[in-house]
Amino acid sequence: MTDWNAMADEDFRREVRAFFEWQYPPQLRYILHRARWHEMKDWWRKLCEKGWIAPNWPREWGGMALDAGKMVIYLEELERHGVARPPDQGITQVGPLIMRFGTEAQKAHYLPRTLSGEYIWCQGYSEPNAGSDLASLQTTAVLEGDHFAVNGSKIWTSLADDATHIYLLARTDRRAKQQQGISFLLVDLKTPGITLRPIRNLAGHEEFSQVFFDNARVPREGLVGALNDGWTVAKALLGFERLNIGSPRRPQYALNRLEMLARAKGLLDDAGFLDRFIALKLDIEDGAALYRRFVEQVKRGEPLGQDVSMLKIWTMETWQRLAELLVEAGAEQGVIAGVHDVAGVETDFLNPFYYSRPATIYGGSSEIQRNILAKYVLKLPS
Amino acid sequence: MSGNAASVDEHRALLAESVADFTARGTTIARVRKLRGTPQEYDRAVWKQMATLGWLGILVPEPYGGLGLGLTEMAIVARGLARALVPEPLTATAVLAASALAAGENEALKRRELPRLAAGETLPALAWQEAAGVLDPAAITTRAEPIEGGYKLNGLKRFIAGSAQADAFLVSARAGAGIVLLWLPRDTAGARLALEPLADGRAFGALALEDALIPADGVAASGAVAAEALARAFDHGAAIAGAELAGVMDRALEMSLDYLKTRVQFGKPIGAFQALQHRAVDLYIQKELAGAALGEALAVLDRHPGAGTRAALASRVKARCTDAALRITREAIQLHGAIGFTDEYDVGLYLKRALTLAAWLGQPTWHRRRYASLTAREMADGGWRMADGVRSGGVP
Repeated sequence: MTDWNAMADEDFRREVRAFFEWQYPPQLRYILHRARWHEMKDWWRKLCEKGWIAPNWPREWGGMALDAGKMVIYLEELERHGVARPPDQGITQVGPLIMRFGTEAQKAHYLPRTLSGEYIWCQGYSEPNAGSDLASLQTTAVLEGDHFAVNGSKIWTSLADDATHIYLLARTDRRAKQQQGISFLLVDLKTPGITLRPIRNLAGHEEFSQVFFDNARVPREGLVGALNDGWTVAKALLGFERLNIGSPRRPQYALNRLEMLARAKGLLDDAGFLDRFIALKLDIEDGAALYRRFVEQVKRGEPLGQDVSMLKIWTMETWQRLAELLVEAGAEQGVIAGVHDVAGVETDFLNPFYYSRPATIYGGSSEIQRNILAKYVLKLPS
Repeated sequence: MSGNAASVDEHRALLAESVADFTARGTTIARVRKLRGTPQEYDRAVWKQMATLGWLGILVPEPYGGLGLGLTEMAIVARGLARALVPEPLTATAVLAASALAAGENEALKRRELPRLAAGETLPALAWQEAAGVLDPAAITTRAEPIEGGYKLNGLKRFIAGSAQADAFLVSARAGAGIVLLWLPRDTAGARLALEPLADGRAFGALALEDALIPADGVAASGAVAAEALARAFDHGAAIAGAELAGVMDRALEMSLDYLKTRVQFGKPIGAFQALQHRAVDLYIQKELAGAALGEALAVLDRHPGAGTRAALASRVKARCTDAALRITREAIQLHGAIGFTDEYDVGLYLKRALTLAAWLGQPTWHRRRYASLTAREMADGGWRMADGVRSGGVP
């Protein structure tokens, strides 16, 4: 087996790039919607055969065991080639959590199936009455012998209808306060008593769902970590997730299309437009400098601090402003749904506008991120 | 520069320490206030101390009595001194004048004046600009007329930073179809300096030249060499002005955060209010963004990129640092409330320094437009491109 970490960075980058260019389905490059399992399953298998589906996992579980520096390169090459993100929460989230907190039996059962794509995971955290204040969640799991009886509902569950399993935060002790009394459960979505209601988003797609639990009986073996200690498990998010969510590549499509549109329509000769455009372009480039500073920190093997929150705020809010200018620059055409031909390039004006909206809401809203920075970085009083 | 990465980092840390030590002991805000609006503008004794510490010679090549270090080192000093609002003209003289002179072709002049500049003995200022907002070094009307044994100078140079106690000026002038850069001692007959007071208590000089005579050995550079010397000096100056703005925002934000933690209203520190917390966070993000852009640009500039990349990076830095510093210092006044609007409270001095640094060497909009035109070819390629030197950084 190749020791990727022993390779020179540039050699590794070349090899990763070549594989993506050679094997990734061209019709799925830079797709504008959230990729579905039926679109991505062939690619998933190809990555599996190559041994590249889990760059972040250790070798013993079939991963590439990339160190921080190589991991950054892998992610950059995915983004550079416009490789869509498959329903990968099993790889990025629940797999590492099982490795860290799960029993040997759980590891042996779940990890190989997650790797192969037999199990596809979705996340059951948010509830209708527990969004930013996640610790106030009300879904209950009551231990009855060797099963939990789960009741309640989860919402904004992305790609739930593609998933076979859900990882869940549920209240297992009603008397305990807030974060205490919550447990982390692995649940098969075929369990009787579980139903899905897809929710149509502003972009017109049914990408997320509400998941209802009506006395769903979940085997006790699905509990990860100690009973009532689920908050600790869920909180152990990987540093990379926190870095990746603020990657300056996210606004790239909007920036790229805006440049093309501006050139095609001669907008750059308009000083008013040029001033707004170039300010946004520099907002992205300077944000990229900030991103690279965190990347260097990770490459040196230093843990990321709470200050990484600023990256998500800046990237996502800049993305929104870019997307707004794209719609405005499209004028009447900018609000006509669908893909347009702009100087020979397919352009969807509304898509970046829509998809940048929830970017300041999911993964910790901009306001929550600001609270975090105020408290932990600026040390302002509460 | 020689040495491995670790020793470079160590040297930089030591440099930052010596700057912090100097601002803690060698200067005070009271001194800054005392010099405000005076014809001295700054203190030559303090200037001499800065020379002794080696700072004036950071950009002066070693054969000419300097340290031959980079813009990254100069930025450490500039940022640290700006925190304390030090009025001595580091950027005007040790960057603008030193860069222009060092890029010249007059070896005798360089051998004579660069060591004296680094030692703080001669304090030259660069007199290149003539009209407000006109930043093209070639867009000038001052004329150098060839005469027997030298040149005769006529014209008016304005917005000369650091000029109050300057001993000499590097003056740009038209000579035939090209530009010359001339060394003009202050006491030259026909040269008259007037000071125009600035918002921050310092001054721009206006240098009126009426038949001022320059001997032939006073030509620092001419033609393409002079044009490149001026362009290089401007870009280096703009980048280091960015570092000064970073120092200004560092301290203004620090003062504001301290105030938020100590000022009590409605029974609690005002920093407990979410409206103010979120404002403070946004200012902090601006500061970090500026610091990241500055650090990255300096690292590339120190690898001596081509003139296009150099100019694009300098513009990127000056635009970002200016916007961030102006926003932070303006909002610092708001966060302080009424006390922030008083002359006796120091935070207002930071706003005024930010204002003058913003106006000097190009406003943000001018720099962004220059950046746009410099990167127009990349934009025509339609891709996500950064100035070439930056591309190796991580998002290729």
